[in-house]
Amino acid sequence: MENNQSTEQPTKRHKVEGPQKHIVAFVMSLALTIIAFAAVAAGEINTTFVYIILVTMAVIQVFVQMSFWMHLKDKGHLYPIIGIVAGVFVVFTMVIMAEYWVWW
Amino acid sequence: MSAHGHADGHLPHDPEKATLEGRNKILGFWLFLGAETVLFGTLFSAYLALRHNVLDGPHPAELFQLPMVFAATMILLTSSLTSVFAVQALHHHKVKAMINWLIVTIVLGLGFLGLEIYEFYHYVQEGHGFTTSAFSSSFYTLVGFHGAHVAFGVLWIGLLIGQIFKKGLTVVTAPKIYVSAIYWHFIDVVWVFIFTVVYLMGKVG
Repeated sequence: MENNQSTEQPTKRHKVEGPQKHIVAFVMSLALTIIAFAAVAAGEINTTFVYIILVTMAVIQVFVQMSFWMHLKDKGHLYPIIGIVAGVFVVFTMVIMAEYWVWW
Repeated sequence: MSAHGHADGHLPHDPEKATLEGRNKILGFWLFLGAETVLFGTLFSAYLALRHNVLDGPHPAELFQLPMVFAATMILLTSSLTSVFAVQALHHHKVKAMINWLIVTIVLGLGFLGLEIYEFYHYVQEGHGFTTSAFSSSFYTLVGFHGAHVAFGVLWIGLLIGQIFKKGLTVVTAPKIYVSAIYWHFIDVVWVFIFTVVYLMGKVG
């Protein structure tokens, strides 16, 4: 057990994942965040249009982060995807209800 | 020489997925995150339904300060990147680097919490207490619940670092690190919706 820390010789058979794709995901998240904040800070833009920009940026960012950082795009993640999509489906119905039906 | 030799005391390549227990832990945690999604969804729904009911309290648009929210967002986004670096170090069996990245993650998490506490304190000074209006109650419940998740994550990852020092990186401890990183990313994902729905949409009106 002592040599757990010294197994750093990767063989050619196993591809070593580099930090590149995670940095790309970070830069994308950064850009999407800045676009969202800029759309609000700019002001003077049609409110509905800003809402559409905000929701689009958030959904793309969450998709990027879940794919790369939470490894959902890796193989063997079918059941995790089913689990999280089931949760998102319930949330979607609740949010529609809260936003459009509560004060109807 | 071969890094595939599990029998000689070396860790397998993906130590978090090397045992059935580890794989089950990850699957179970994803199902838990599905439930967490619903939990936050209820709080978002309550906030969406109640955000216009401000009574005599301040409106979202006059309350929120975008620079501070942007700073908090940057801190949490960066901490998500450092926690994925920790998982990469775990895959490369670099225990020291892994612990260092986890510590950076914790420090950034504490920075986020500090900013949030300051923000809440500031709001209360402005007459935006928990019981001021339906808007304020649903706001503090939603954002505070997220903050509680950050605080729990900081505590959890802190304890895991202690366990790594004690037991080293093994097929038992690796799934715990992996799952805590997934949890941390999930917190960041929830924050994406909080800064979008609560702060930015609140600012637009």
